Amino acid sequence: MARVAREMVEKAGVNVDQLIELLVKNAAAELTTYYYYTILRMNLIGLKGEGVKEIAETARVEDRNHFEALIPRIYELGGELPADMKAFHDKSACPPASLPKDPTDVMGILKVLVEAERCAVRGYTQICNMTAGKDHRTYELAVAILNEEIEHESWFSEFLGEGPSGHFLRRGDTSPFVRKFLQ
Amino acid sequence: MKEFTLDEIRRCDGRDGRRALILYKGKVYDVTGSFLWQDGRHQVLHSAGADLTDAMDEAPHGEDLMERVPVVGVLIGD
Repeated sequence: MARVAREMVEKAGVNVDQLIELLVKNAAAELTTYYYYTILRMNLIGLKGEGVKEIAETARVEDRNHFEALIPRIYELGGELPADMKAFHDKSACPPASLPKDPTDVMGILKVLVEAERCAVRGYTQICNMTAGKDHRTYELAVAILNEEIEHESWFSEFLGEGPSGHFLRRGDTSPFVRKFLQ
Repeated sequence: MKEFTLDEIRRCDGRDGRRALILYKGKVYDVTGSFLWQDGRHQVLHSAGADLTDAMDEAPHGEDLMERVPVVGVLIGD
């Protein structure tokens, strides 16, 4: 644990135990999403599905990166991951991104994907609001993840016919915002 | 529609297998089956059995999400 770093955050008025719990819940959401997106991506096939597969894969890999980026901060603040993987799954800040009953329903898969991203956007907005001006390191991490989650949401939203995403697919490496937390 | 007192709602805190109810703008919502309200807690910060009307201002979502939760009653005076 980074004792003084935690003290500074507490002194700034953040309930650090609550913050750690939120970080763990969001880390659980990232890892479980990575798992569920693996299944969704596998089922994105055919004329409709293939066009969505690449962004689903990028979102999947970036969600795993978010999990990796969150863990050091949890332990720095004195938190830890649950020893039981099932308990970790059930703690997730977002519901499981389960494959629709009809796995050929590409629009159904897209709705699952966009809902998962919207849940993540809400979660990181909450962490940003809690830490802004108080816990600079967590804030910077949460903002970086939030940037990527917003892009994921807009990609899937575009395919659902909700309007242009405003940007292109990733060119080059994944996680342009979060990468520095992975090094 | 069933009528609830504040005391009845407070007892439905979602803990130890109890039903999880929340109050929002005078309507009673049942969040017992919601993944996001396990054990009567929501995103660390909120508990079932409470009036969350004011909390919506600080929430990272709008009241449109309440439409996904079943309304099971309304609040009446104690």
